[in-house]
Amino acid sequence: MAKYRREQKKNFLKKIVGLFPFIIFCLAFEFVPIFILVRDSFSLKSGDLTLQHYQSAFEPTYLKGFWNSIKLSGVTALIGTFLGAGIGYQIFKWPNKKIQSTLITLSDVTTNFAGAPLAFGFIIILGSAGVVTKFLLNTFHWKIYPDFSIYSFTGLILTYVYFQLPLMVLLIIPAFSGLRQDWREAAQNLGANKMEYWRNVGIPILMPSMIAGYMLLFANAFGAYATAFTLTGLRLPLITMQIGSAISGEVMREQGHGQALAVISLLIMGACIAIYQMGTNKARKWSGH
Amino acid sequence: MKTPTKGPVFLRFLIVSLFVFYMLLPIVATYLFSLATRWDRSIMPEGYTWEAYQTAFNLSYFRITLKNSLILSIASCLVSFIIIVPTVYLTQINFRKFRPLLDLLMIIPFAIPTVVLALSYVRVYTFQPITRSPFLLIMATVVYTMPFMYRSVSNSVDAVDISVLTEASQSLGGDLWNTLTKVIMPNIYPGILSGMLLVFATVFADFTLAKLITGAHFKTFPMLLVEQTQIDGNVAAALSVISFTLAWGISMVLLWFSSKASKSKKAQPSDKAYIGK
Amino acid sequence: MAYLTLADISKNFNKNPAVEHFNLDVEKGKLVSFLGPSGCGKTTTLRMIAGFETPDSGVIELDGEDISNIPPNKRNIGMVFQSYALFPNMTVLDNICFGLRMHKMLKNQIVPKAREVLDLVRLSDTANRYPNQLSGGQQQRIALARALAIEPRVLLLDEPLSALDAEVRVVLRGEIRRIQTNLKITTIYVTHDQEEALSISDRVVVMNKAHIEQVGTPQEIYREPKTKFVATFIGTANEFHGSVCGKDSVKSAEFLIKTNNASLFADGDEVFALVRPEKIDVYSYKPENIDGNVLEGLVDTITFRGAETRLGIDIGEKVITADVPGKDVFSYGQRVWVAFDSNACQVLK
Repeated sequence: MAKYRREQKKNFLKKIVGLFPFIIFCLAFEFVPIFILVRDSFSLKSGDLTLQHYQSAFEPTYLKGFWNSIKLSGVTALIGTFLGAGIGYQIFKWPNKKIQSTLITLSDVTTNFAGAPLAFGFIIILGSAGVVTKFLLNTFHWKIYPDFSIYSFTGLILTYVYFQLPLMVLLIIPAFSGLRQDWREAAQNLGANKMEYWRNVGIPILMPSMIAGYMLLFANAFGAYATAFTLTGLRLPLITMQIGSAISGEVMREQGHGQALAVISLLIMGACIAIYQMGTNKARKWSGH
Repeated sequence: MKTPTKGPVFLRFLIVSLFVFYMLLPIVATYLFSLATRWDRSIMPEGYTWEAYQTAFNLSYFRITLKNSLILSIASCLVSFIIIVPTVYLTQINFRKFRPLLDLLMIIPFAIPTVVLALSYVRVYTFQPITRSPFLLIMATVVYTMPFMYRSVSNSVDAVDISVLTEASQSLGGDLWNTLTKVIMPNIYPGILSGMLLVFATVFADFTLAKLITGAHFKTFPMLLVEQTQIDGNVAAALSVISFTLAWGISMVLLWFSSKASKSKKAQPSDKAYIGK
Repeated sequence: MAYLTLADISKNFNKNPAVEHFNLDVEKGKLVSFLGPSGCGKTTTLRMIAGFETPDSGVIELDGEDISNIPPNKRNIGMVFQSYALFPNMTVLDNICFGLRMHKMLKNQIVPKAREVLDLVRLSDTANRYPNQLSGGQQQRIALARALAIEPRVLLLDEPLSALDAEVRVVLRGEIRRIQTNLKITTIYVTHDQEEALSISDRVVVMNKAHIEQVGTPQEIYREPKTKFVATFIGTANEFHGSVCGKDSVKSAEFLIKTNNASLFADGDEVFALVRPEKIDVYSYKPENIDGNVLEGLVDTITFRGAETRLGIDIGEKVITADVPGKDVFSYGQRVWVAFDSNACQVLK
């Protein structure tokens, strides 16, 4: 019996040893750094516990950064969700399957056009010396600057929506195809007209996917750095930009405030991803896969 | 079935056309701008030239950053492979109960903003030779791309019931090595390969982690691009074109792959949220 | 007087006929099943009655009224889908209330009515659960309750049990029949399972390749199949292909089969003589004094099925299937004689 147990233990060890690289990797490059980040956000250089870093995280500069990030993410996710769902529906309903799959491929490929190249693409079009800017000025004598600026918050919205839209299209098309035909028929059969079907069945069933989409888009914009960095530099403070500055030590003060900002961002992103996961799980369960 | 009336058809056409226009505009503009001689007085460039590309190729940093980015992307692919493939396989075979836990672990990086990941690395690994080293950057990009590498691999593992295949191979006398190389890999390689391609494309396009972790010590291609946007627009456009064409090529290969191997599911749209922003 | 009439209904999909010249009268309160292999047009016919498909030609009348052009949501015909089609976003009770709300029933009557039908399918305790928390059998009962709640003029069931386990299937079909008889609701039941169709129906419509093969009571369908398709699709039958020879026999290449049913055909007509396995007796010796057919063969296969044993007996050119009582013992390769009455032999074109 004892021998058998020893044998079992050996077997178990043999089995688990293959997982060591992964476990060590996760500890070293995921959990320990994040754990230390959280710890540092609560401690002074001396090692004493403190909430001081969180107090400084709520100073007007950083509040502004958070507010800008949340506003930008919220607005572009909202535009992305609704426009994306609408466009996704039109693509989903497109009668010619070849064109439909080309449109889906287009959405898929354009998601690769992000970050610095995207920001610069918009500068080429709508920058102060941009092609469209100049064209409007020369041809119609319409000076869009300084009322509009691609380097402003509006410009950021325009640029962010560019990467939000195709993402939502890709997310929502499976949701539309998950709407089973027999739900529609069952509703009709029970006396519902088209409107009543959408109100009572179609839209509620799409809801988890829409919420999941919104959350993913929000997180997507909230965590973005390269696009805004290229477009606005550090002129327009976003929270990711401020954390970035804390790394390069451009704003060197008590070390912990960057960690505090990071922990708060982590919580915001974590909440988004958690809701996103719940939404997709629900949608998956509903469509029976 | 009623045939749709003219109104909705027109509206659909209009909506989709506007979408396509919006999606193509910056891309087309970048391509044209990289080739344009002068483009500020008319709707189309006045002439075309390869000059911007020549200038780009002759930049002192061009070769180095391209080499760095390729090394970084390939290394990330390999590390990602080594970390994830055996783990998924062994968990599926020996610790099936823990698959949900693994799913959760692999999702977590989705919730870590890249700047936060960079900050935590820079603050924790402060000692030589690791601090701000390319090694650290590789580890960061592996963590950052982990969710979709994992999803590609786990989808293809789920699609072919790996435990049954393993048992069948064992019952026919195959040892672990033979089982892996002759039975398992041929069945799941499309998933692994598409995962690795996605990792490659993402890491190649990454600006944030490289800038914040290694900075000027190890300059990557996107860093050169961002730098050039401040210096020479045409050159920056040429670099953009090179970068996007590469990503686009990989995307096409991936799509071709997923249509070829219908067994292994396509990359999730959500994975696309993580490319180079 | 027929309650539901389908008069000369035809429907094509991309120029392929799905249903051709379909004629049927259904009496009020009866359960009629459409039975046939997949692709035979049974579901398409059902969907035309529900209004999801429009016939290319023909008229559908319900209670004297032509309903061909009424949209599905105004027909008040209940339907139960193969995949249940319960709305995943609603509780069981909300699912049932849905139809009542759409029919603008008075608010205070909706829930009591829903509870009533929920009682009918014996699932009152699931009212507040969601469909994905229920088993397949329970979901299908809820779907039935939902369809019944609106007190439909006709109830349509589209392969309602085919996604369920064998055991649940048997229980649930009994349940459906009980409820249908109690409520006296006119019902069309689509299935590809002959046992299901025979056990549940007042009348069976056997379909094949877009047309009706035969309409009759289950007994008629089984005992007096009108076509070879019906005879072989329903139950098992041994076929002998040959030509009519005199008034009382069919002559095939190897055998002369005596039958009392050949009188409808002329001498020399090409026909099939069909015998059900349970009509065949098997002897381990050559039986004497038998007025009928006796053929000699060797036992080829033995399948024990509990109360009976199914034997495959090789009689040279073909293998005959025969059911013998389970207590009789035969062994592989044993020489046996099969005998069947000339009455037991059906002759069909």
